[in-house]
Amino acid sequence: MRGNSGLRRQRLAEGETPSLPGMRKNSAFWLQCLLGLALVALVVLVFRTTQSNLELLGVQSGFDFLWKKAGFSISQHLIPYTEDSPIWVALAVAILNTLLLAVFCIFLASLLGLAVGIGRLSSNWLVSRLSLAYLELFRNIPVLLQIFFWYYVALRALPSLESSIFITDYLVLNNRGLYFPFIEFANGFAISPPVPGRFAYEGGFYLMPEFLALWIGLSLYNGSYISEIVRSGFQSVARGQWEAGAALGLKPATVLRRVALPQALRAVLPPLTTVYMNMFKATSLAAAIAYPEIVSVFVGTVNNLAGRPVEVMAVSLVFYAGVSFLVAWLMGRWNKRVTMRGQ
Amino acid sequence: MASELTTSAARQRAGLSGWLRRNLFSSWWNAAVSLVLLGLLAMLAVRLFQWLIIDAQWAGSAPSACADTTSLCWPFVRARWPQFLYGLYPSEEVWRVNLGLAAGALLGAALAVRRMPARRWIAAFLLLAYPPLAWWLFRGGTWGLTPVQTSLWGGFFLTLVVTGSVFWVSLLAGVLLALGRQSRLALVRQACTVWIEFWRAVPVLVLLFVVIIMLPLFLPANIEIDKLGRAMIAFAILMSTYLAEAVRGGLQSLSAGQYEAARALGLNWRQSRLHVVLPQALAVSLPQITSNFIGLFKETTVLLVIGLFDLLGEVQRAASDPQWLGTGTTAAGYIFVAVFFWTACFCLSRASSRLERRITRYRAAAT
Repeated sequence: MRGNSGLRRQRLAEGETPSLPGMRKNSAFWLQCLLGLALVALVVLVFRTTQSNLELLGVQSGFDFLWKKAGFSISQHLIPYTEDSPIWVALAVAILNTLLLAVFCIFLASLLGLAVGIGRLSSNWLVSRLSLAYLELFRNIPVLLQIFFWYYVALRALPSLESSIFITDYLVLNNRGLYFPFIEFANGFAISPPVPGRFAYEGGFYLMPEFLALWIGLSLYNGSYISEIVRSGFQSVARGQWEAGAALGLKPATVLRRVALPQALRAVLPPLTTVYMNMFKATSLAAAIAYPEIVSVFVGTVNNLAGRPVEVMAVSLVFYAGVSFLVAWLMGRWNKRVTMRGQ
Repeated sequence: MASELTTSAARQRAGLSGWLRRNLFSSWWNAAVSLVLLGLLAMLAVRLFQWLIIDAQWAGSAPSACADTTSLCWPFVRARWPQFLYGLYPSEEVWRVNLGLAAGALLGAALAVRRMPARRWIAAFLLLAYPPLAWWLFRGGTWGLTPVQTSLWGGFFLTLVVTGSVFWVSLLAGVLLALGRQSRLALVRQACTVWIEFWRAVPVLVLLFVVIIMLPLFLPANIEIDKLGRAMIAFAILMSTYLAEAVRGGLQSLSAGQYEAARALGLNWRQSRLHVVLPQALAVSLPQITSNFIGLFKETTVLLVIGLFDLLGEVQRAASDPQWLGTGTTAAGYIFVAVFFWTACFCLSRASSRLERRITRYRAAAT
């Protein structure tokens, strides 16, 4: 508590007990030493126990397994991967699959949340009621159940390869997934459309049913949370702001974009960060329907094959914590920029 | 917004037609949107009615009742009802589950009655004595009760046990963590902060795997915790950090004057936290705490990934029985679970917002 008075006052405001004259600082010092020693002792004890347990089980340690041959196939890989690739490539494939799913979910959920959140404020009774119904329906059902519904019920009802649904000529949907054209890098830049092959569509790119189920399920669930954030964000913008915009002769859409949105963003960003992080963390539910992301590939398959539980768990924990901190940091910077502007 | 400003007095007629004009047909654009939505809604309602009721198979309770595997199969829910409720808990011991859960429900209901005599004692009993007693009743093994392994527990029962036990432990741990994060001792403060911030960044499923695989390695060989216990430890680690953040919000909303006043009265640390700080902080953070509770309740469904069978897990297990295979069966099971969770979560969140309003009123009256 030797800090300057400004810091001291801030700490007081945060509810810290003020230290009064006469309080013995020494006792605090020794108490902390004792606690520190206890913590270190606990860590050492756990470390020693783990070591002896691993020895008893005959488990080796070290990260050398990352360079061994993987020996298993992964159904979706954004970078070249075969069964002969080393395990670290499998890890990279899994990480990319996780990030792909997260980015797709964040995009769709934000769109849904924005639309429904604005819909809640609509003067049209039907629109606002339907938006509320969406919110209450999807928010109160466990997201895993929703994913299961899309995967085991809705997507199972899709037609087989022969009777695929053509959304457009180049967008094909069947029970193997959603096919669409994609840039081909093999021989220069070319856009390759999906072409019906013997067992599946070839060329282009396709999203497997597991991905679709997770994408729809996670987006609908988290979109409901985002809609609530958007609604309260807009409601936090004073009514006078809308009226002032209209009085200036701006069109309603311009008022929304130029006046209301920048102010709403300030109230929206902190809770939105939380939802984005939750969504990123929830991509791990993919393990329940075997979409090959980090939990099902690394924590599941690699852990069973390599027999290095400590290392595998450490890598997964560091990955999730690292990305979460990165997202929190980036959103924090964006938030700072938004709140600084106009002050 | 602009359309509201231009609303003319003529439009504000009373009655149904006035209401319709104001709310659905206030402009050409609005009218078009309303009509399209009404059409879509009608189509959806017809389709849903067809799927849920008319096309569904209702009679019987044997697999043969669902000849058509694609349309909804309600007999599945009827046939597997006991499994959905209790999992594989032996049927001659099910009275123990019923007794334990009914006692809990009764105590909870008694607490909700505002004029209940001895409400304090009921609360104390529910918080301190009921959880261990209920666990003893469910688990058995002493005083003449036959032991029932936790691997047999399942269904609705397991969902409630996990939610209740984890919440009970986490609330206590969360309060301690929140107080620790504000501690005068830098080491305690830093340790709590790091602990909270790290676990908040980790998904529940990953932590479940980590605890289930790693905990036996961390502990000496003679200490063994079963899978349910390990899963609950994982949930409790996460839940306590969430609750710690919720309580911290409440602690920060208190003015420094409260702390100073407590000190001026000569209360020591424990007395001031217990009688002055926590009662106010917990009241403020109650909405956050309830929403975390609802989150935990929904999140227990991930237990099925690690091979424990909560309500959704039991439905999944029953639907993979070769006799019952089919999307109609699975869908019926899912709808049943969805209705259960939806009703519970909806009622809880409504109750929470009512409580929040009451607390706001109370606080406004107090200051």
